[in-house]
Amino acid sequence: MSGYWAGILAILSINVIFAYSIYVTAAAGQLNLGGAGFQAIGAYGTAYATTTLGLPLWAGFAIAITLTAFVSFLIAFPVLRTRGVYMVLATYAFAQVVSGIALYTPALGGAMGKVVTEYVPVWPLIFSAIGVTFLVFYLMASRFGLAMRALHDDELVSTIMGVNARAVQVACFTIGGAIAGLSGALYAHHFAFVEAQYFSPLLSIFVLLFVLIGGTQTAWGPLIGSVFFTLVPEFLRLGGSSWRYVIFGAVIVAMMILRPEGIVTRTLVAKLSPSRWFAKKPVAQEASLER
Amino acid sequence: MSAEAILSLRGVSKAFGGLKVIDDVSFDIPKGERFGLIGPNGAGKTTVFNLISGVYPIDAGQVVLEGNDISTLPSRKRIRNGLSRSFQNIRLMPHLSVAENVMLGQHSQALGLLDLMTPVGWLPRQRFRREADAALARAGLDIDPGEVVSNLPYGIRKKIEVVRALMSKPRVLMLDEPAAGLNPRETADLAAFLKTVSDQGVTLLVVEHDMSFVKNLCERVVVLNFGSKIFEGTLAGAQADPAVREAYLGTRRVA
Amino acid sequence: MTALVAALKPGARFAPLLWVIIALAIAAVAVAIGGRIIAQQIVSGLMLGGIYVAVAVAFTLTIGVLNFLNFTIPTLFMLTGMVAWGLTAFGLPFGLTGRWNWFPALVAGIAVTVLASLIVERFTFRYFKAKHGDATEHAIPLVSSIGFLLVFEHLVLIVLGSETQRFPTPLRADINIAGVVIAIPQLASLALSLGVVFLLSYILKTTKTGRALRAIAESPDTATILGVDVNRIVPIVFLLTGLLCGLAGALFAINYSDVNAFMGEHVGTKAIAAMVLGGLGSIWGAIAGGLIVGLTEVLAIHFFGGEAVQIVVWSLLLFVIILRPQGLFGASKIGKGKL
Repeated sequence: MSGYWAGILAILSINVIFAYSIYVTAAAGQLNLGGAGFQAIGAYGTAYATTTLGLPLWAGFAIAITLTAFVSFLIAFPVLRTRGVYMVLATYAFAQVVSGIALYTPALGGAMGKVVTEYVPVWPLIFSAIGVTFLVFYLMASRFGLAMRALHDDELVSTIMGVNARAVQVACFTIGGAIAGLSGALYAHHFAFVEAQYFSPLLSIFVLLFVLIGGTQTAWGPLIGSVFFTLVPEFLRLGGSSWRYVIFGAVIVAMMILRPEGIVTRTLVAKLSPSRWFAKKPVAQEASLER
Repeated sequence: MSAEAILSLRGVSKAFGGLKVIDDVSFDIPKGERFGLIGPNGAGKTTVFNLISGVYPIDAGQVVLEGNDISTLPSRKRIRNGLSRSFQNIRLMPHLSVAENVMLGQHSQALGLLDLMTPVGWLPRQRFRREADAALARAGLDIDPGEVVSNLPYGIRKKIEVVRALMSKPRVLMLDEPAAGLNPRETADLAAFLKTVSDQGVTLLVVEHDMSFVKNLCERVVVLNFGSKIFEGTLAGAQADPAVREAYLGTRRVA
Repeated sequence: MTALVAALKPGARFAPLLWVIIALAIAAVAVAIGGRIIAQQIVSGLMLGGIYVAVAVAFTLTIGVLNFLNFTIPTLFMLTGMVAWGLTAFGLPFGLTGRWNWFPALVAGIAVTVLASLIVERFTFRYFKAKHGDATEHAIPLVSSIGFLLVFEHLVLIVLGSETQRFPTPLRADINIAGVVIAIPQLASLALSLGVVFLLSYILKTTKTGRALRAIAESPDTATILGVDVNRIVPIVFLLTGLLCGLAGALFAINYSDVNAFMGEHVGTKAIAAMVLGGLGSIWGAIAGGLIVGLTEVLAIHFFGGEAVQIVVWSLLLFVIILRPQGLFGASKIGKGKL
């Protein structure tokens, strides 16, 4: 594998994992615009554990994942009191606090960044991405995932059906946090360097875009979204000019007009599902009153 | 308070922003009865449903289910006590398939960690899925359970909502205008289906504007007007009652 | 005095004004202790706050009426300054040496910004139709606006480059009050910025269009039933957004002389902070919030340095969003920042 493709696959793997961390909350109807903050906790957690404390690599990952999950769990209770635009802003503010702390703490390298000694090559990244993808697909197929998707569509009715909305959302935040922590740890160890400036609001915006452009209705969404977002700018780069971001922005706008629910919708998955090819014919659309 | 009442409202009141929408409403529904809640538009029928199912807290009074005061019970716990409902405008989850919507109705029956972790989406012959398919068949819905519900016609979606409400094995089933928008054949089918449900011992509480449907199905009715109970008894009695006639006058004649 | 007592009641109409008075009182105390240097800082803080006010009002208006966090706002702010600089650099509209060159250039910059804002409206709201309502649906225009952010920012980078440029400012006059230097353009800017916002608030209260905007903020469906043509009114929000951002961008260019393709990011972030402090959808809150953020920023950097400010400001904002989502002042609002 050439260095160029190894680099792209590494970024793609981290993006896929990162996108799934945000997806797990979005699938239950909660928008998180603070992804970079959660990823930063994982990255700095392992950087501090392995490089400063000299702990082994596995301990670094364990610390990164549990620390991020724990912080997510704690922040979930206040943040989930908020709704819609307020939640978007609350998570955004949280990420700003995290990057501010990273900038201000000398032990975390401050504005100079921090070198991470243990290196993780590209293969473990790819396997982690496959593993996380499988995990999220399983989660969405479970009864718990059914409750998440129901909350995404209609929180009131889900609650009346007996779904404990708050518990499901806190669990989603915690699971999402753990996955974000993993993506941060992989980033830190693959690039062997962390700096606060990387975990910017723009990163949070982009990872939320992976999820929303991909589609929040099925677990395919973030996978397709992050592949789209990682590869399209690369292909545009082959054209060789800074026009690529202009084209890319225009593509985003067009996507929202043409497919506002994301590239992959539930209906699309149902249409493409092999088990459906042999299923009963759908009932004829009879003339009936709409609402 | 009759001893066999399964659901009782005792002096229930509710105001929104100073406007009293439900004023001191009381009634008892005997176990196993098919009970109708009727009244002109804006009488507060759907609000009564929302108060019973816990969408809003009540301001005064009590909601009693099988002898237990559930007035302060969170809405998600009421379904576990045997109280299930449908909605006036179809409130199926638009991005879920038929089977998934119906399985959501089982949620209150599947709260163990093992149940929650069961990948129902991957196991088409798993117990939950079999129960859902069987319930759809019992309701006479011959449709592909994998179809996304938003692609289905109105009458079918309306019926799926009733099936979903039945999946929690309710003892009291509340239906908010189940026949609205159905053609006469579908309405008759629905009434027949609800009678078989009732025969299995499920108490029915139905809000409905279609009086022939109410006449066909309900044994007793309560009439609401401007948030107050103005009549309780048989539908024939309601149609003869002067207060009820006055309430409907100008809006709709009692059929 | 009675008015002051009335204003102290929670939810009172004049609460934001009261906060401004309290802030000024604290500032007066600070000056009494810290002297001329602090006074100078407070003056610069208020001037900076004036810029934030205009941008924060643009944010708060869009959220209040349309429930839409418009990410193009920082770019629109930047567009004015960069377009105006680009015009003067290429000797437009009146040749390189004109003494009043900057003025038509800024007007042209504002015009381009308004046009850009209307283009955003066309592609975010005009064609936007969700099939089924769900919890993430309100993010659709937000995502489109991020697309536009990329388009505008990179178009500017391609055409005008990424370097920081000096905007020619001909008006340099200071007044000196007890050793505190106040630049006249800055003072004029603050007055202009606040004046426009006051005017906007007046328009919203009294005119037919203003009432239509507030009706849409309450409920688009009800507004439609009441005969408000939503498709005709929505562009007005974007027109006002463009004007406010254009004005703020022009004032920034005059006062700080430096323009670059990234100047919107800093101001946009601070304006969001100001809006949150004031409560989403509250114009008076945005004014108070903008001035307070400007003051706090300048003073905190003076005393503690830049990084600490980020932690303190954003932790505070996180608490405000969670504990007082209506904002610090509880002022009356257009819309409720729904959901």
